Amino acid sequence: MTTLVPLGAFIALSAALFFIGVAGVLVRRNAIVILMCVELMLNATNLAFVAFSRRLGLIDERGSVFVVFVFVVAAAEVAVGLAIILAAYRNRPTVDVDEVREMKG
Amino acid sequence: MVPGPFDIDPLVWLVLRLLIAVVLTLVLILVGSMVLIYLERKVQATMQDRIGPYHVGPFGLLQTFADALKLIAKEDFRASQTDAAFFIVAPALVFSPMLASFVVIPFAPGIVGADLNIGLLYLATLGSMGVLGIVIAGWASNNKYSLVGGLRSAGQLISYEVPGILSLVTAVLVVGSLSMVHIAESQPGPITNVFIIPLAFVTYFISALAETNRIPFDLPEAESELVAGYLTEYSGMRWGTMLALTEYGNVTIVCAIMSTLWFGGWQGPGVDSGPITGPVLGVLWFTLKTYAFILVFMWIRATLPRMRIDQLMSFCWKILIPLTLLNLAVTATLLIAFPETKVPVAIANWILLGAFVVGVPLIQQRRLRKLRERSRARTLGAAVAG
Amino acid sequence: MSLDLIEPILFGLLALTIVGAGLGVVLADRITTSALLMAFTFLNMAGMFVLLGAETVAAFQILIYVGAITVLILYGVMFTPQAPRAYGLFFQKQTTVGAVVAALAALPVMVIAFAFRDTGSIPPRGGDLVPLASSIFTDFAFPFEVASVLLLAAMIGAIVLVKRE
Repeated sequence: MTTLVPLGAFIALSAALFFIGVAGVLVRRNAIVILMCVELMLNATNLAFVAFSRRLGLIDERGSVFVVFVFVVAAAEVAVGLAIILAAYRNRPTVDVDEVREMKG
Repeated sequence: MVPGPFDIDPLVWLVLRLLIAVVLTLVLILVGSMVLIYLERKVQATMQDRIGPYHVGPFGLLQTFADALKLIAKEDFRASQTDAAFFIVAPALVFSPMLASFVVIPFAPGIVGADLNIGLLYLATLGSMGVLGIVIAGWASNNKYSLVGGLRSAGQLISYEVPGILSLVTAVLVVGSLSMVHIAESQPGPITNVFIIPLAFVTYFISALAETNRIPFDLPEAESELVAGYLTEYSGMRWGTMLALTEYGNVTIVCAIMSTLWFGGWQGPGVDSGPITGPVLGVLWFTLKTYAFILVFMWIRATLPRMRIDQLMSFCWKILIPLTLLNLAVTATLLIAFPETKVPVAIANWILLGAFVVGVPLIQQRRLRKLRERSRARTLGAAVAG
Repeated sequence: MSLDLIEPILFGLLALTIVGAGLGVVLADRITTSALLMAFTFLNMAGMFVLLGAETVAAFQILIYVGAITVLILYGVMFTPQAPRAYGLFFQKQTTVGAVVAALAALPVMVIAFAFRDTGSIPPRGGDLVPLASSIFTDFAFPFEVASVLLLAAMIGAIVLVKRE
């Protein structure tokens, strides 16, 4: 019998990664790094879902099903987000989010 | 926990087993790649009506050994402006997924590294991890041609993953399990899966050619294109790892997948004849089938020309992906409609295969004829006008 | 050292690398280092899923995140070249406030997180492939179809956004 890691440890790790992602979005100026930190946040929520689903004795793995949908949404969001960044880059060659301030032009 | 021989402590035996397995796999890949390089040169030479290597050793058998020694002894230089960490890490990133893929391949009844119940998904996952190393290699070389070559190669690889994985999924539908051991065991006797889903085999064969960067899809690494693409700045053993070992390891893996999924893997006459002769015969059949496919890969390399990047992308997205999707939908529908027998699936697949083999050349001929007429009309109009 | 402690040891190692690589993504000097550290985080997260016994989700994580999303982000980095200094650690105006707020919000959440208790029963063996597959295609078939329409819309949207006129 192996000693199991307590569920709270997984949730605490998920919270830590989530808040690292939040700090990244608030702190960094490069739009692509902000996108990467959003992916970190989504990963943290995936971990929480899977941990709850496997450890609380739920049937049917519903947490993992939701994780599959989070994968789909994350992939779609990265694709569209990068398309927006590239389109804005074509307008003015910068990915600095502080530069893109005016609504016109 | 199982105690080891000579009563070694179980924990030590666990670590020792892991080390022995890794060393054996590395030896298998190294020796296998050496054999494959020599085989490729001899096969190409025979098809091109020349002799190939014959100086070093009897029949030139030690040629690859001499080449490997030369590569190891070469000066290991790295251009000064390249990104040191990424440049050094990229060959490892390309080599590691290939090394890890050998774990789930069943060589004989009972001889498999790990009987994962998601074995085929694991192989598809590792195939998609190799793309990352190529992009990093292209970027780290600090060379415009390498960057473009790396991005092109990555684009080709991720495009051809889709029909490859869809073909694998079609085979999984027919077999009913993702575990490679179960897939190999589910095809006893002479009627293997290739008679039931031949179209999936053909589409997987084509996407395997593209996934391993073999002719006719080897634009990213050809020597006359983009100065060898993402491999330009790599020399010596780095080049050896990235090109020779990884490519021939990947070729071995996709041929092993093909022989397991569609031809029964280690199945053959005599595999259940005893505890020693059974596995030995199983390994023999597996090796024969895998090397038959590898020889077909080399035959294709000696025969066909190279496709342009836009031709290969349009073939993938406009022809292969709709075809594999159609195949998957038809197979799934027929399997649910007729749950007892697999004959309707086989009939539908052979019809689709015939349509593919006959239809694609017809479409291409019609398109070529229309293009010729249009260009002829244009030159005629220009001659008349001016 | 007995083999009983192997799960907590693996968890500790993976957790340390996940948090370290996550901090590296936020604080790294060059953007390609951030991208590779993000891929490393994803790999370790897949290891964490395997530790929980959800190996199908772990395989999907590597297939989608490391195999596709990281390559997509690297493409985005390479198609937006900038002066080398511009990639650096330029902080937004609200850096100090943002970092402090995030850290202060993280601490109580992590403390509360340890209050979750599992039922104490052994997790079901056999992995998660069969329950996951049967759930997706029977109970959750409609969200599955909606997800495929979402992917189609995202693909068309991304292509339209970057088309040159």
